[in-house]
Amino acid sequence: MVNFTVEEIRALMDKPANIRNMSVIAHVDHGKSTLTDSLVQRAGIISAAKAGEQRFTDTRKDEQDRCITIKSTAISLYSHMADEEDLKDIPQKVEGNDFLINLIDSPGHVDFSSEVTAALRVTDGALVVVDCVEGVCVQTETVLRQALGERIKPVCIVNKVDRALLELQVSKEDLFQSFSRTIESVNVVISTYYDKALGDCQVQPYNGTVAFGSGLHGWGFTVRQFAVKYAKKFGVDKAKMMERLWGDNYFNPKTKKWTKNGTHEGQPLERAFNQFILDPIFKIFNTVMNFKKDELPKLLEKLEIKLTGDEKDLEGKPLLKVVMRKFLPAADALLEMMVIHLPSPITAQKYRAETLYEGPSDDEACIGIRDCDPKGPLMLYVSKMVPTSDKGRFYAFGRVFSGTVRSGLKVRIQGPNYQPGRKEDLFVKSIQRTILMMGRNIEPIEDVPAGNILGLVGVDQFLLKSGTLTTLETAHNLKVMKFSVSPVVQASVEVKNANDLPKLVEGLKRLSKSDPCVLAYINEAGEHIVAGAGELHLEICLKDLEEDHAGVPLRISDPVVSYRESVGAESSITALSKSPNKHNRLYVTAQPMDEDVSKDIESGKIGPRDDFKSRARILADDHGWDVTDARKIWCFGPETIGPNLLIDQTKAVQYLNEIKDSVVSGFQWATKEGPVAEEPMRSVRFNIQDVTLHADAIHRGGGQIIPTTRRVLYAATLLASPTLLEPIFLVEIQVPEQAMGGIYGVLTRRRGHVFSEEQRPGTPLFNVKAYLPVNESFGFTADLRSHTGGQAFPQNVFDHYQMLPGGSPLDPTTMTGKIVQTMRKRKGIKELVPGVENYYDKL
Amino acid sequence: MARLSAPALSTSETHVFEDDIDQAKTKPIGPFSEEQLWVTYEIDRTLVEIKRAQYKRIALQFPDNMLCHAPRVCNALSHGSREQSLSPKDAQDPADVRPVEGQMYGMSITYERSKPKFYILGDTSYGSCCVDEIAAEHVDADVIVHYGRACLSPTTRLPVIHIFTVQPLPDSETIRQEAERTFADRSDKIILMADLPYQCYLHNIFNMLQSHGFLNLYETEVKHDPSSLLPNRTVPDEVSRQPCRLKDWHLLHVADPPDALLLTLSSRVASIHICNTSMSVTGLENLASLSTSRALNRRYALLTLVKTASTFGILINTLSVQNYLDIVGHVKEQILAAGKKSYQFVVGKVNAAKLANFSEIDAWVVIGCWESSLIDSKDIWKPIITPFELGLSLQEDQDRTWTGEWSSDYQRILTMEDTAAPRGKEEAYAGLAENKADSSSVEGDDSEPESSPPEFDLRSGRYVSGSRPMHFQPHRSQKSMADNALVRRSQSEITIMGGQLSPGADFLRNKRGWKGLGSDFDMSSEEPSTSIAEGRSGLARAYVNDRAH
Repeated sequence: MVNFTVEEIRALMDKPANIRNMSVIAHVDHGKSTLTDSLVQRAGIISAAKAGEQRFTDTRKDEQDRCITIKSTAISLYSHMADEEDLKDIPQKVEGNDFLINLIDSPGHVDFSSEVTAALRVTDGALVVVDCVEGVCVQTETVLRQALGERIKPVCIVNKVDRALLELQVSKEDLFQSFSRTIESVNVVISTYYDKALGDCQVQPYNGTVAFGSGLHGWGFTVRQFAVKYAKKFGVDKAKMMERLWGDNYFNPKTKKWTKNGTHEGQPLERAFNQFILDPIFKIFNTVMNFKKDELPKLLEKLEIKLTGDEKDLEGKPLLKVVMRKFLPAADALLEMMVIHLPSPITAQKYRAETLYEGPSDDEACIGIRDCDPKGPLMLYVSKMVPTSDKGRFYAFGRVFSGTVRSGLKVRIQGPNYQPGRKEDLFVKSIQRTILMMGRNIEPIEDVPAGNILGLVGVDQFLLKSGTLTTLETAHNLKVMKFSVSPVVQASVEVKNANDLPKLVEGLKRLSKSDPCVLAYINEAGEHIVAGAGELHLEICLKDLEEDHAGVPLRISDPVVSYRESVGAESSITALSKSPNKHNRLYVTAQPMDEDVSKDIESGKIGPRDDFKSRARILADDHGWDVTDARKIWCFGPETIGPNLLIDQTKAVQYLNEIKDSVVSGFQWATKEGPVAEEPMRSVRFNIQDVTLHADAIHRGGGQIIPTTRRVLYAATLLASPTLLEPIFLVEIQVPEQAMGGIYGVLTRRRGHVFSEEQRPGTPLFNVKAYLPVNESFGFTADLRSHTGGQAFPQNVFDHYQMLPGGSPLDPTTMTGKIVQTMRKRKGIKELVPGVENYYDKL
Repeated sequence: MARLSAPALSTSETHVFEDDIDQAKTKPIGPFSEEQLWVTYEIDRTLVEIKRAQYKRIALQFPDNMLCHAPRVCNALSHGSREQSLSPKDAQDPADVRPVEGQMYGMSITYERSKPKFYILGDTSYGSCCVDEIAAEHVDADVIVHYGRACLSPTTRLPVIHIFTVQPLPDSETIRQEAERTFADRSDKIILMADLPYQCYLHNIFNMLQSHGFLNLYETEVKHDPSSLLPNRTVPDEVSRQPCRLKDWHLLHVADPPDALLLTLSSRVASIHICNTSMSVTGLENLASLSTSRALNRRYALLTLVKTASTFGILINTLSVQNYLDIVGHVKEQILAAGKKSYQFVVGKVNAAKLANFSEIDAWVVIGCWESSLIDSKDIWKPIITPFELGLSLQEDQDRTWTGEWSSDYQRILTMEDTAAPRGKEEAYAGLAENKADSSSVEGDDSEPESSPPEFDLRSGRYVSGSRPMHFQPHRSQKSMADNALVRRSQSEITIMGGQLSPGADFLRNKRGWKGLGSDFDMSSEEPSTSIAEGRSGLARAYVNDRAH
C-alpha cells in the first residue's frame, strides 16, 4: 500500500529544505525506469515483486511494448530518514527527518532529448545511471552536459552490476577497475563543463556520490553505507572509513594496519573495496548461483538477512534477487544518496536564479526565486504539457520557483515570446486547479509553495509547450529552454477522407502540444508537415497523431529533410535593385557567415534582444568581426531571430532611418523564402552598401522599399554562388572491433564519414564518431545492424548544416539542381529557378 | 489630364502598359491588314448592334495590348456607321459593308450631332476582362463596346457589346489527332469548351470530332453567367438537372484557360485537357491532376496563413460587377464577426508597390470579377484571397474541410448566404454578443480581464495572440466619457481612435521603429552630429533649389 498520504506530502511542501527535485538521466537502456521502480516500490506504490519489471513510469502502452521510455514521467515520493546520524551528514539545512522527493524519469533515446531538457529545468539534481558493462555512452555525455548547463548537480549510480557478475564472471579487482574507469569517464565529462557557481560536482564513491547496484534485482549500495557499518565495527571515524573503502587503500590483515601500498612483503594485498564491500556480495552470488544450500544459512545469518518461509524455497536467480534485496535494498542507497548529496530547492535556487531568469538579478521576481520564497511573487515555469484523460486537454507540468500557486489564483501567463511592457504572448487567467503528478495518477492539491513540482489545470490553452506564470506585472520570463535536438526530419501527412481534415488539424495542434520538440505546421505548398528530431521520434509522433490525436486514417509520406538556402561566396558584384517608381535604389552584397556565428545565434548566445554593444563585443572577440559592422546589425531573420543578418554599411545616407522598418520587413520576407527553392535562408550576411532615396516621403514608403528589398536580397544571393544546406547528423556508434568494417561500408555508401575512432579502455568496444547527412539516415540503424550482425548501435543527433555537394542548385543538370527542381515542383512553383536578371536592375 | 505628375497611388506613367499580374498571358498583336481588322474586331456586327438600339454615345474599351488598334477600329466604326446612316439599305446586310478606300470622312463624324459619337477608353482601372463602366460614364456613354477576352460578369449600369476578337486557330487537325490519342474510348463524355477568342471555331471542331466517331460530345455555348457550373458556358442537359453528374464529363479546352477557370473546374469535371493554340509543340495535357491540384494546395496554404491575420484590407477591384457593394458588406460583416478588423481600399490596378504601402494589413480580400480575383503573384508581400477563401479561412478549425472545391465568383457566396443567412448571421452575432458579455462581466472588477486564448497558427506551428483584436469592443461608458475624463488605460488594451478600436493605429504605435524626426538621435548616439545644412524647399514637383541646378 501507499505508505504516505497527500496530506503528508502537502505538509512537506512547506519545508523546501527537505525537498529534493531530481531527474533520472542516462543513455538508452542503461536502466533508468527499472531503477526508478525500486524507489516507487519503496514508496509502496507497486509491490516489491513487480519492481524492476513493471517500469511504473513507462505509462504508455508503446513504452511498455518497446521497452523504451518516450515521455518523462514525474512522481512524488516520501522518504523518512531514520538515522539521526545521517542527517548530520547533509551539508545543507534541513528540518526534521522526513523528505519529499520529486522524481522525474526521463527517456534515454537521443531522439527524445527534449523531454530530458524539460525534466532538467524543473529539477535541481540528477541521478546519472551508467551501465557498468557499456560504460559512459553518447547520451550519458549529452544529458550530463545538459544537466550541468542548467546547473543541476549530478550523483551517479553504476547499474547492472549483476550482469558483470553473472554474465561476464569478472573478478573483484576487474570489477573495481571497471567501476573506477566508469567513474573516471563520468568525471571527465563533468570537469569539461565545470561551472564555477555550481562548484565541484565530481562524483566519488568515497564522498558517497556514487552508488553501485542492479535495478533489475533491486539492490544497490554506496560506499558510505558500508563505511557506516564498518566504522562501528572498527571503531573509526565514518568519514575516514569512507575514504579507505575506495581507491588504493589496503588493509593489511597481518599488521592490522591500513596502507596505501598494494603489497606486503611481496604478497599482494586485497584492496579494501574488494575485501570489505565486494567480498560479501561475491560470496552471496557464489553461494546462491552455485546452489551451495548448506552454506547459505550461515552466510545469511552473518549478514543479518532473514528470509520468510516462501522465500527459503527459492533457488537460483529468484533467490539471489530476494537475498540481495534484503541485504542491500537499492532504494536505501539511492534515497540516502539523494537526500544527502542533492541540493534542496533553497540551496539550488540560490545559484540557479541568475541562469533561470531573463530579467535583472535585483528585481523582486529574481530575489523571490533566489530565496525560494513562498511569500514572494509567483514565478512558475511550465516545462511541458501532459495529456489528460480528457481528449485534447493537457496538464501544464512545471515548477514553482517563487511564491505560492493555488486554485483560482489569477496569474499572468507569459509565452516564450513575451517581452516585458508588451502585450504579445501575454494572457491573464485564473488557475483552475493545482494537482500533484503521481506517475499515471494525479492527486488534487489545494496550493503549492515555492520549490515544488506540480501540474496545473486550465492554462493549457494559453501555452503551446512551455511558458512562465507570474503574478508580478513587471516580471520577465523565466529563460526559454534550449533543446539539444532540432526537428530536422519531416514527413507530410494527409487525410484519406477529405471530411476528416478538421480532425487532422485538431490532431496536429494536440500533437505539437504533447511533445516539447515536435513541429506541426502547413507549408506553403499546402502540405501538413510533422517534423521530429529523428526517425524514431517522427515515427512515434505520427503514430500518436494517427491513433490518438487525430484518430483518423492518414496517408503518410516518406520522411524527408528540410533544406536551407545559403551562399558559398561573396556576391561577385554589388546587387542593385530599383524601386517600382525607379526613384530609390538599394545596393547590397551577400556573403556567407561563419557556422559558429549561426550556431551562436541558434543557441541564443547572440540574439536580437541583446544589448548591441555587448553583442558587438562577442562578435568582434569570438568571431573576428569588424566592430563597426557588428554594431550596425539591423536585424536577424527570418522571424526576427534566425541566423541571417542584415548589416548597415552605408555612409551618411539621408532618411535611412525612415526606411529601416520597410527594409527589415523585406528582409524577413526574403530570408523566410529564399530565391532558390523558397526554403528558409541560413548563414547569410547581407551588407547594405549604399541607398539612394527619393526626397519625398511618399515616394520612399513601404510600397517602394519592401518589394525592392526582397528583390535586392535575392539578387545579392544569386550573385553569391547560392547553395543548399542539408542537415547533418553526428552519429556515435559503439561497436566491437571485429564489426568495424561493416560500419565503414555502410557509412561510405550513405555519404557519411568517420572522424573519430576510440577504443574504450579495457574493453574490445570502439567508439566511432561520424557525420552522416540526415537525408541518408533513413533506415541507417537497420542497415548498420544487418551489416554488423546486430552489434552496432548508432545514436544520431542533429549537429550542423552543411553545403550540399554536387554542383550549383541553379543548374538543373547537377544533383543539387535536380533536388531543387523536385522541391519546386512539389511546391507548385515554376521548376526553373528565376535568374538574377529578374531581381537585378541595371543602373 | 492636366496633371504633371501622377497622384501618389496611381500607376506611374512608365508602367501603363506593363501589366504586372498577367504579363505572360497577353500576346503582342502584330500589324493587321484592313481586312483582318474588320474581321477580328467584328466591326459589322458592332455596327448592326449600334444601329438597332440607336446608341448615340459609344465607348470603346480596349485591353492594353490592343490599344494600338484603337484608332483604326474607331475610324472604321465611325466610317461605317456614317456609311450606314447614309445608306440604310446596306445596313440590312452587314456583310456587304466594305470600307471605302481613303479616309475622306476622317474625324468629321464627331461634328455631326445626330451621328453616333465614339470614345476610346484608355487604361482601364482594373482588369481588362471587366467592363469599365465608370470610365464610360465619364463620357456619358449609352453603351460600351468591350474588346478582347471578357469575364462576362453582369454589369449594373450600361449595356455592353462584347467583341471577343477572334484569334486565328492554327491547326484544327492536330486537335482531332490528339483527341483521338487521349480518349481511346469513343464513348467518353467530353465537353468541348474554348477560350472566348476561339469560341467561333468550336462548332467546326465539334462536327469534325463527331464525324470521327466521338459519341458523347457536348458543345458549350456562351452565356453570361459566371456562376454557372461551367463559368459563362451552357452545360449539358443531364448536368443541369443533376449537377453532380458533371463529374462524369471530361473537358477539352481550346487555348489556355485562365487560372481561375482551371481552379474552379478542376474539382468539378473528371479531367481537363487543354489544346494549346501553339498545339504542334505541346499537344494535349491533362493538367487537372498535377499542377492544378498543386495550385489549389497553395491556395489552401494561403488561407490557413490568413487564418491568424488580425487586420484585413478589402481591396475593391471592380466598380461595375453586379452586387459588388453587397459582397463588400458581407465580407465586412464576416470579418467583424470573427473579431477581426477590416479596412477598405480602392487602389486601381493591383500591384506589389501599392499594397506594400499598407504594412499594417495582414491579408487582402479582393472583390472583383471572377477572373481577376485570383491574384497569385510571388511579388506581393501579403496574401491576397478571394471572398470564397475568406469564408473558409474564417471558419473554425473543426469545421473547415478542403475538398479542392474552389470558386472565385462571389455571386455564389451571396446566393449561398441568402439561403443560410438567418441561421448563420444570428450565430455570428450571438458569438459576438457573448464575447462582449464576457468582457463586460469581468470588467466589473478592478483587475485586468481574463484574456481569450491564443490561436494556433497552422503555418508556423506556434501560438499567436491578438489575431482577433475586435473581440474586446470598448466599453460603452468609457466611450461616452472618453472626451474629457481621464481613463486608466490598461496595458493590454488596443489603441482606440475616435471611440473605435484601431489595430491600424496600434500598428503605428507599437510596430514602427521610426517615430518621426528626432527619434534618430537615440539610435545614432555615438555618431558625431553633422552640422546643419539648408535642405530643399518648395513644392515637390519642382523644388526651389532644383531649379537652381
